[in-house]
Order: sequence, then structure tokens, then C-alpha cells
Amino acid sequence: MSTVDPVEQLLANGLKNLWYPICPTGFIADKPVSLRRLGYKLALWRDTDGTLHALEDHCPHRGAPLSRGVNLGDRLQCPYHGVEVRCDGVTTRVPGSPGCKLEGSQATRYFHVTEAAGAVWLYNSAGNIEEAPPLVLPEQLSSAEFSHFLCYAEWRGDYRYVLDNVMDPMHGTYLHKQSHSMSEGESHAKFVTRDTDTGFIFEKDGQRGVNFDWTEWADTGVHWMRLEIPYPKTGGPGGNFHIVGSYTPISRELSAVFHWRCRPLTGWQRDTWRFLYKNRLEARHWAVLEQDREMLEFMEPDANQRENLYQHDLGLVRLRRHMKNLAKAQLELIEARQL
Amino acid sequence: MQQPYLEPHQARTRVPNSFEDLLGDSIERAFAVGIHDLPGLVGYLNQAGPTCPGGEPWTEDAYKTLMARLGE
Ligand code: FES
Ligand SMILES: [Fe+2]
Repeated sequence: MSTVDPVEQLLANGLKNLWYPICPTGFIADKPVSLRRLGYKLALWRDTDGTLHALEDHCPHRGAPLSRGVNLGDRLQCPYHGVEVRCDGVTTRVPGSPGCKLEGSQATRYFHVTEAAGAVWLYNSAGNIEEAPPLVLPEQLSSAEFSHFLCYAEWRGDYRYVLDNVMDPMHGTYLHKQSHSMSEGESHAKFVTRDTDTGFIFEKDGQRGVNFDWTEWADTGVHWMRLEIPYPKTGGPGGNFHIVGSYTPISRELSAVFHWRCRPLTGWQRDTWRFLYKNRLEARHWAVLEQDREMLEFMEPDANQRENLYQHDLGLVRLRRHMKNLAKAQLELIEARQL
Repeated sequence: MQQPYLEPHQARTRVPNSFEDLLGDSIERAFAVGIHDLPGLVGYLNQAGPTCPGGEPWTEDAYKTLMARLGE
């Protein structure tokens, strides 16, 4: 018999009232798309002016997929019996039975969506809400001083293994030893954590700017992680290469993995980096990320139930504990019907 | 289940042509020897190639214009 732990369930589906990246912006056009994310099946589409909308992909009549229906601009018409659902979740028309009580009711979950840094972002509100808070991203994605590219991938396994992996800087020295940028630095280290205004930094004591030496985790209404890796000389001016990551559950078996590769560059230096990125660097970065994917996908789903952690794992222990506490607090609010 | 999305090339819209490959090689070689300024880079391209499109010598403006397009 398996009992479902509600804290575990909440974490597995993704915490509520946070922004999550859903997919690259190019995935959504006029034709509605159905995507599983965050414990929901979502229907996403664009209005006539390009504005994004997201409804739960579940018709309020009998649950047919709205995404298979007709795009009527700010609403979708269900393919099964023609019920029309507006982007705010309100059923505007029941053509088979005009005047029935479904008409005018907000019977469908809807979500606030926006576009930034090449991705579609969705506010995972606990219920239907009028307005979502602003999306706050790190400077690497919001400042004109930085140039960035999004790399989107889907990896088998729970998204929390991806968080663990990023909160584990030391794996760079081993797993990525053969990579173009991570062969430097000490092969043993002591790590320390340091609080920030929005989260914490987990870093090698006494080593900076040599390899993958630190990771930052932050909560700005979206959970994101950040790190820097020194570029080899062939990477040109601009200093370190910055990575921002954010990870979204698709299911227990699949994760949506977003990495933004960023550099603080402007003018001809920016253009040159962008040219080299498209021409050759993207493939090299991809090869490094594949090393992570293969490692994580070959781990058993319950590998985290049988661990012997050591000093290097303090960062992920702290993050797991923090996430668990957030989940407990949310659950209490949900049970008190305050969320 | 649908195959997971694993696309190695997401930044470019086409495969680079051979001029772009030669240019990328040359720029990386210049960077590798520590040339990180624009006049230095233009000088290196004029000496090591590839030839500037159009056949004239590389100038800072020609380089910037081309990069603005290739790196858009
Ligand atoms: S299930 Fe959608 S209209 Fe009947
Ligand atoms: Fe890695």
C-alpha cells in the first residue's frame, strides 16, 4: 500500500504561487498546444495580437481537451460539443443548451502567462486569481549589459535531481573534466554557504573564478539558480560565462530544463560572442550538458533514498530542507483555505 | 511517450557556411593569443584570413557590420 505524503506531492508538482518557465516562446503559435507541466495539462495559445493565454486543458463540460478545439482569439471552442471557454476561465457559450448554468461561470482553471528571455512563463497560482505579481529575473536576463541565449531541454527524471546537480559545483571537476572549460581547479575543496537577500550561495572556500566554484539559489517569486564558469582564452573578451537555470516538473518522470547562457558584453564584442555561440560554442556547451543529462537519467528514481552525503553535499541538503519547509508552509495555508 | 525535446542547436536558424567556419576559426585563434581589442582583431584577420566579403581589406566598420548581422 502506498500512502501519498502531501508535502512530497506538492514538491513533486511544483510549489504554488511562483513563476515557472514552461517552454521556449517559439513553441506557442495560434494553433493551441497541450503541455503537461506542474501537475496540470495546460492548453496554451496566442490571441490575434500574439498575446499568450493558458487554460487547464480540460473542458468544463466533460473534460475533453480544449487544446484540440478552435482558437477564437481570446477563447477556445471545445471540439467535443462546442462549449466556448474564455482565457479567464469563464464559459461564454454553451451552443447546445443556451442559457444553461455553465454559461457565465468561471469553471476552468486559468493561468497568467508572460514572455521573457525567450521563454513562456506561467504563474502557478493555487487558484484562479485576477492578477499575478511581476516576474522578477536576475540581471543576467533583465539587464542590457548582458547578452543571452536560452537552451531548453527535457530530461528524464524528477526535476529535483536537476536542482541537486546544479547545487553541486564539485561535479564540474570530475564529470566535466573533459570539457572545453572545466578542467581547472582543485580536485578537493571545502564548501561554505553564505546568505543573500533572496537565497544563498554555496561556494568553494578560497577558490573563485577557476572552475565551477559556486552556485547561487534565489527566490524572487521565481526559483532560479545562477553560476559562473571561466571561459577559455578562445572565448574572447567579456570574462566569465554566466548560467542561469530554472527547472519545471513535467511529470515525475520528466523535467523541463531551462538554462540561459549569458555574458556581460555589448557592441562588437557582444555580436562576436553571439556569432561564435551560434557557429560553435552552442555545440560545445550542449556536449557538457549532455554529460549531466546522461548521469541523472541513469540514476535510479529512488537514488536519493539511499545516500551517504559528505561535506560537498551541504548545499543540496540545505536546498532540499528549504524547499520542504516552503512546501509545509504552503500546505498549511492550503488546508486553512488561505491559499 | 513523446520523445523528450533534445535539440542541440537552438540559437541558429541554419548550418554555418564555410566562410563563417573559417571566420570562427580565425577569431578563436586571435582570441587564443590574447588579441581582445578591435584594431588587433581586424589586423589579425587581414593577415590570417579569411578575406573580407567583397574582397576589400577588413576594416573595423566592415567587421562590426558583418558581426551585427551574424550575431544578431
Ligand atoms: S466536453 Fe467540451 S463541450 Fe462537451
Ligand atoms: Fe554539470
